Amino acid sequence: MATFKEYRERPAENPIAVIHANHVLPPGARPIQGQRAGFVSRAIAAGIDVTLIFITVMLTAAALWMLSFIIDPTTAASNEQNRVPDLFIMVAYGYFLNWAYWTICWALSGRTIGNLVMGVRVVSRKGERIGWGGAAVRSAFCAVFPFGLLWVIVSGANRSVQDVVLRTSVIYDWVVGLPTLARVLGRTAYEPERVEDGQ
Amino acid sequence: MSDEPRQEVVLITRPAVPGPPNPMDTLREVISTSLGMAAYTASTMASLVEQTVTYAVESSVNAALDRLVPAIADAIVERLDLTDIVLEQVDLNRIVNSALDTLDLTQLVIDRVDIDEIVAQADIDRVIDRVPIIPLANFVIEEIDLPQIIRESTGGVATDAVNAIRVQGVGADQLVSRIADRMLLRRRQRKVEVPGDPESLMGESTRAESPMEEELTREQPADESLMGRMRDDFTSGDRSARITDPTREL
Repeated sequence: MATFKEYRERPAENPIAVIHANHVLPPGARPIQGQRAGFVSRAIAAGIDVTLIFITVMLTAAALWMLSFIIDPTTAASNEQNRVPDLFIMVAYGYFLNWAYWTICWALSGRTIGNLVMGVRVVSRKGERIGWGGAAVRSAFCAVFPFGLLWVIVSGANRSVQDVVLRTSVIYDWVVGLPTLARVLGRTAYEPERVEDGQ
Repeated sequence: MSDEPRQEVVLITRPAVPGPPNPMDTLREVISTSLGMAAYTASTMASLVEQTVTYAVESSVNAALDRLVPAIADAIVERLDLTDIVLEQVDLNRIVNSALDTLDLTQLVIDRVDIDEIVAQADIDRVIDRVPIIPLANFVIEEIDLPQIIRESTGGVATDAVNAIRVQGVGADQLVSRIADRMLLRRRQRKVEVPGDPESLMGESTRAESPMEEELTREQPADESLMGRMRDDFTSGDRSARITDPTREL
C-alpha cells in the first residue's frame, strides 16, 4: 500500500500498463499469445460473425416486411410474396454486409465480434494491423471462398488460403480491454519519451 | 726522500716539583674560600626565612580572604544585574549552538524520555479532528481503485466465460492440428510464430529476447510465386522444425 508521500511523488504511470494490468491473462494463456490460431477458434469466430450477419439480414427482412404494411396495407393475397425481397437479393445483401463488416473491423482493430469472443486478431505479414485495402481484399476473399479456412488444418503454419495468398496471419491475442484506446494513449503520452530514450 | 728534514714532536714526562710557597696565592685562596662560605650561608638563611614568612603570611592571608572574598563577591553581585550583563555581553547563540552541536538531542530524548508515556497521555482525538477525512477517503478509494474492483467483480463472470470458451478453442485447435499432422505424417511442430507483439502482452518485451530466438523467428527466403508459397506453407512445419532442431540433421 502506498503512503501519502509515495502517492504524491509517484511518476505518471504508463497508460498502456494500467489498461493491460486490469486484464489478467489466465495461467497458461500467456505463452500462446501472438501465435497463429488454429482451425477451431477461427471457424467458431467466423461462425459467430456469419450468424450475426444472418440475424441482421433476417431482421432487415422482417423490418421490410412490416414496413410494407405501412406503405401498402391492402395488397391482394396473391401478391403477398412481394412483401419481402427476393432470396437472391437477400443473399447478395448478406454478402455485402458481411464484406463491409469484416473490412471495417479488420481495418480498424483487426478483430470482428467473433474474433473478439475467440481472442484472435488479424495481422499483416509484419504483425501489424492490415490496412483498408488489405482488409477489403481479404474480406471479399473470405466471403467468396470460405472453404479457404480449411487449409488451416493441413497448413504447416496454421494459415488459411487467404492468409497464404495475402500474407496475413490470425493470431491469438486475448486482450479484452480497449486496444484502440490503449494505442491512442500510447501514441500521445509515450511516443516522445521513447524518442528521447532512443537518442 | 730520506734527505728531507722532518719535524718531530717528542713527549717527555717529568715528576712535578712544587715551587716555593707564594704568600699572595695563599692569601687569595683563604679570601675566596671565606667569601664562598659566607655567600652559601647567606643564601641558605634567606631561603629559610622566606619559607617561614611565606607560610605564616599565606595561612593568615588565606584565612582573611576566605572570609572577605565571599562577602565582597556577594556585595558585588548584589549591586550588579548579572542577567543583563550576560544578555548584553555574551553571544548566547554561539554558546547554545556549540552546546547543541556536541549533543545528540535525538538520542538523548530516546534514552531519557518515555515516549510511550507521552503518547499515552496525548489527546489523540484532537489530532484526528484535524485530519481531513473526506480527502483521505478519496485517496484510499483512488489508491485501491474501487471503481475498477466493482467493474472487475461485475465483469469478472463474463470474462471468465469468454476465457473458458477461448481455452476450449485453443485446446480444440491443438487437437485438430495434432490429428492432421499425424495423418500427414508430419512429426514436427507447426510454425506458428508471427513477428510483432500481441496487444495482450503490450508493454512487455517477450519476443526475440535472445539472438537465437531472433534467428529462429526470422523470415526465411522462399519461393515468391503463389504456388511456391502454398507449397512452402504446407511444408513450413518441417522447415521450422529443421531450423529449431539442428541436431536432427546430424
